[in-house]
Amino acid sequence: MTSLRCQLKNVLHDKFCLMTFLLPIVVASALNFVGSIDLSTLGELHFGVLEDDLPTRTTTWLERYGSVTIYPTMEELMDAIQEPSTNLIGVESDGSGIKTIISGDELDMFRQTADTLPNLYEQRNAAGQTKVHILECPNVMAGFHDMFIAVTLIVAMFMGCTFNAMNMISEKEDGVAFINEILPMTQSQYIMQKLFVGFICGCLSSIITVCICFRLSLQNAALMLVLIVLSALAAAWIGLFIGRASNGLMAGVVYIKIVMLLFIAVPILSFLVGISQPLLSAIFYVVPSQATFEGIMALSTGNGTIAVKDIFILLAHCIIWLLLYWENLHPAS
Amino acid sequence: MWKNLCSLFKKDCRMMVSGKFFLMSSGFLVLYTLYVNFGYIKFMDAQLYNVYLYDPAKTQTTVSTLVQRVSSKEALDTILLDDTNGVGIDASAGEPQLVFYEGTEQTDCHRIDYALSLLQPPGNCNAEVIGSNTPEQKARKEITCELLFFEIAAAGFLGIAAVLFKEKGMGVIRVHAILPLRKNLFILSKLAIFLLSDLVFAILLTVLNVGLLDTASILPEVLIQTALLSLIMSLAGLICALLLKDFRQFTSAYLLIAIFVATPVFLSANTAVKLDWIYFHPFYHIYMGLKNAYFGTPMNSPAYYLGCLTAIAVLFAGVQHVFCKEMRKEG
Repeated sequence: MTSLRCQLKNVLHDKFCLMTFLLPIVVASALNFVGSIDLSTLGELHFGVLEDDLPTRTTTWLERYGSVTIYPTMEELMDAIQEPSTNLIGVESDGSGIKTIISGDELDMFRQTADTLPNLYEQRNAAGQTKVHILECPNVMAGFHDMFIAVTLIVAMFMGCTFNAMNMISEKEDGVAFINEILPMTQSQYIMQKLFVGFICGCLSSIITVCICFRLSLQNAALMLVLIVLSALAAAWIGLFIGRASNGLMAGVVYIKIVMLLFIAVPILSFLVGISQPLLSAIFYVVPSQATFEGIMALSTGNGTIAVKDIFILLAHCIIWLLLYWENLHPAS
Repeated sequence: MWKNLCSLFKKDCRMMVSGKFFLMSSGFLVLYTLYVNFGYIKFMDAQLYNVYLYDPAKTQTTVSTLVQRVSSKEALDTILLDDTNGVGIDASAGEPQLVFYEGTEQTDCHRIDYALSLLQPPGNCNAEVIGSNTPEQKARKEITCELLFFEIAAAGFLGIAAVLFKEKGMGVIRVHAILPLRKNLFILSKLAIFLLSDLVFAILLTVLNVGLLDTASILPEVLIQTALLSLIMSLAGLICALLLKDFRQFTSAYLLIAIFVATPVFLSANTAVKLDWIYFHPFYHIYMGLKNAYFGTPMNSPAYYLGCLTAIAVLFAGVQHVFCKEMRKEG
């Protein structure tokens, strides 16, 4: 217990370390209260028109499909179409109809839209009588906000991993690791101590982040708590593993960089691309943050069953990492 | 002075080789190249909504080839459940009925009109193309630019710190305090080696991922931007490494930069999301400079270059100051 207190005291003295743990909380509250990031515009259509070129009713017709920006000169319109970060479709009048301008580097979706737009304009009066049956669907775009919060949570979790790895590497470099070997301390005590700080701080910072961002029912809150504890534990284990496996700062940094990229990229990729192949999604679960991310997203929409599945996956992760670490400590020979 | 700089440079080179820095860089070069050529390009093929038609009595005569026919009402429902962006047309009752999952209001409007237009005789209009990049070229340039920015911001910053902490531990700074050398040389040789390695990295990454032909025209501008970024990041890394106590604290600072500084920049520069405050973000301008270089858009004003040079000068003065302080402390 004394040694645990020492470890914690060590962290409290380290202002920078404290700041890192507080950071996800600050970002989460900023995301929650400011909400300035509006991602709902991502998949939508954007049109650019020239001032005084199209009749008002054509502009109104365009506004039914997406946002319309009016540009005063032709050069500005062309620049806006060519701008690589947007998928703006330029619309010009062409006799009684319209014609469209694109830069040619858009995704197929926007190119096809631009190709078919004049056709839609010609047939604009034909539609209207058709019966339309719209099915209820959870709003996909609202998920982006949750995605950011989920990523922030994963980062909070990852801090524990980094901290543990760096802690062990710096001990190795300072020679404390040798002293530890002759101290009257069992392996499990050593692991407990090393695990403790990163795990507790990662957990605390994630829990506070969740409290700020989500309003959950009691049952879901319990599930979320289990999810956080397990993922912080898995992250802390991975941190220990990195710390043990790397024999120098540089190697440790490389490992951490790769793990960080995987932790953040895999869930975002699978969320944005929407992997439906069972084998591929199973492979994605090898990265623990995938399960965490899925669980958080499921809980944010109130889906408990998926979260329970993810909890089991994370549990498996914790056990596997524990066994791997143990195997590493006591080789079979 | 040149002789001294050369010998310092050689020593730094040896430090970097023994620290596996070049090995790490080439490892990441391979990783990025594989990702771009076998991963990223494949993901980027978003198609317009699929339209599915259930028409047992063949009432629709002029159906576009873009429409996929399904054999039963159940098949239509299952396929829509899988592809929630798709639009189903149910023409079993004679008059076509549309079925789809709710999206945003404007998207729904467009999906209705688009699906119905596919049942009409097709028009033969194509959009006018004014740009010179194909979607693949654009994707390649965009991802290469992102990876280069990330790698230089990370490698310059982290690499210099890793080397410096090692030297600090070995007492090199203490030795420098008593050597009859100009103190600037220590900083200059560090900057030179990172600048060179970053430039080589930029050339290789661009050639391998954008393609040799496209690279030739954009390379000079890309190298200028890379040099600016590399100098700023190395100087910032030097300051942090001199000020911070140990590498652990440094990694925290690094994580802060990598995640919370780079994310809004990438978001704002690569998507249609525009954040109002992003213009006050210094890295946004540097990133846009690099991106404009990749796309060949001459948009950099003299104010931008002036700002970069001022930043480099200020950082250099800062490094010098901190370095002298450190030497006084050590010696």
